[in-house]
Amino acid sequence: MGNLTESEVIIGVPGPDRTIQDSVNEASKSALKIAVGHLNFHYGPRQVLFDISLEIPDRKITALIGPSGCGKSTFLRTLNRMHETVNGTRAEGEVLLDGQDIFAIDVVRLRRRVGMVFQKSNPFPKSIFENVAYGLKINRMANRSAIAEIVEKSLRRAALWDEVKDHLHKSAYSLSGGQQQRLCIARALAVDPEVLLLDEPCSALDPVATAKIEDLLLDLVSSCTIVIVTHNMQQAARVADYTGFFLLGKLIEFNKTDVIFKNPAQKETEDYITGRFG
Amino acid sequence: MNFRRFTALLASVVAIVLVVIVVFLAAYAWPAVRLNGFHFLIDNSWNLGRQYGTPITVHGQEILPGAHYGILFLIAGTLLSTAIALAIAVPVGVGAALFLAEGVPPIMRSWLSFFVELLAAIPSVVFGLWGYVVVIPFLGHHLFPFMIKWLGFIPFFGGTPGSGYGLLTSGLVLTLMIVPLITATLRDALVSQPASLREAAVALGASRFETMWTVLMPAVRRVLIGSSILATGRALGETMAVLMVSGNALNILPNNIYQPISTMASFIVSQLDSAMQDPTGMAVRSLAEVALVLCLISIMVNGLARVLLYYEGRQAARIA
Ligand SMILES: Nc1ncnc2c1ncn2[C@@H]1O[C@H](COP(=O)(O)OP(=O)(O)OP(=O)(O)O)[C@@H](O)[C@H]1O
Ligand SMILES: [Mg+2]
Repeated sequence: MGNLTESEVIIGVPGPDRTIQDSVNEASKSALKIAVGHLNFHYGPRQVLFDISLEIPDRKITALIGPSGCGKSTFLRTLNRMHETVNGTRAEGEVLLDGQDIFAIDVVRLRRRVGMVFQKSNPFPKSIFENVAYGLKINRMANRSAIAEIVEKSLRRAALWDEVKDHLHKSAYSLSGGQQQRLCIARALAVDPEVLLLDEPCSALDPVATAKIEDLLLDLVSSCTIVIVTHNMQQAARVADYTGFFLLGKLIEFNKTDVIFKNPAQKETEDYITGRFG
Repeated sequence: MNFRRFTALLASVVAIVLVVIVVFLAAYAWPAVRLNGFHFLIDNSWNLGRQYGTPITVHGQEILPGAHYGILFLIAGTLLSTAIALAIAVPVGVGAALFLAEGVPPIMRSWLSFFVELLAAIPSVVFGLWGYVVVIPFLGHHLFPFMIKWLGFIPFFGGTPGSGYGLLTSGLVLTLMIVPLITATLRDALVSQPASLREAAVALGASRFETMWTVLMPAVRRVLIGSSILATGRALGETMAVLMVSGNALNILPNNIYQPISTMASFIVSQLDSAMQDPTGMAVRSLAEVALVLCLISIMVNGLARVLLYYEGRQAARIA
């Protein structure tokens, strides 16, 4: 449980001197973006994650579901070490990004590679342009035309460009809630992250704005790995390739979304997705 | 009477009192304004005249022979000491506020903040006395000679150290009084910024310092301007503390930062006694004119603040 089983990874073509098993290993390696091994997490004396092991595949959408308080946000925030901004937190275990220990990488570089979008949209009190350019500026990028180019590209990737291109210098607060959230996605995309973490990005949005963001994620996944926490089971079913079910700080089941929703292995998962609790 | 009317009445009482005070001051000072003319602002000569001489009539006003009133040195002393205080207090206040809001563990934070607020509540005469007893000997004997030796090549930093009373000392005592004001206000504004702003910056790879400097400070810029203006008002009008450390210069402009000065507010206090001896009353009226000028400067500073905040507000509406 937790690891991808052999049948679920794309199997490479075996060459003359390679066994099928080699190809499987290779394929599963190259298709793997983040590997979490035996992760335990504590807020002060209180443990909230228990021995989580999970492999997040590259350029796929992975959804994390589970009842409130089960540790989804905590898990997500560990992936780019946002938990370190909270005093008294402790994460034990292994988190590998492309095989590299994230706790050994410079945290600023890590957060550039692993971007994050929050539940409540949180644009800076700056212009739309400045919001998207922020990550570039703090990374010492000074070339104005290059910045403008990336800002445009990021806004296009976030499907926001057409709506804001005529007033880039207006306040970000002049946008609607859904637009603000897409702005936050554009801001995260501007530094070209390899992984995008989203913590219930649609929970404050209406169905139309939610649909836009879901479409956007399906577009983005060709170029970046996406991990999304959601309370909305239909959303997970609609967008996610893989789904993990958390309960009381434990990862109960992780598998292809189809399997989780149609044929879950664990009774708890079934109870949850059929709405029997949570 | 309903609540709105009641508050409207209170507000108009405040406005009326303000206008009455200024009008009264202007009316009382009017003979002095007529006598002194524009030279009041550009001459360096405050002279009460011969007290036992026979009053003479100049421009239709009765004054003592030899009396002349010009307060350029007071205007200079007031503006320069306030400028020094602001130049030091704004960066220090910003640094202290950032430190209190972001840099210390929460338990220490509330204690330190409490002390800062206490500091803001200390009566100014206490600062003055402390400056008189502790700061001045130290400055006069140690810091000023040291500064002259190493920084003397900078204009206005060279010269003789004097006794420790003077422009820089006044500026430093004023600094101590207004730093807590700026720090406390700014810290409150910083702390009340939503945590989600910080998270947004940190998640983009911003360091703690970058988060403060590029996200939090711009968000509280208006508060910084506002609190600096309040602090300016306090420094311009400060009386006792400056009186005790300024050296009470008369009729001279400082030509370096160590020399004695006087400020308008402290001069009014220190001269009131002698001015009362003037049988023509013109000396007291001229002091009232000093007060009037001080009032006008303060009103101008506040006006400037309005303009700045308005401009900043428009920019904020457009950009931020
Ligand atoms: N800063 C914190 N300090 C102490 N405990 C915390 C903190 N943040 C979260 N917790 C606790 O950790 C547990 C997991 O919280 P987390 O926010 O990860 O849950 P979640 O699955 O994201 O819930 P939700 O669906 O409501 O967002 C909860 O029991 C919560 O009380
Ligand atoms: Mg959560």
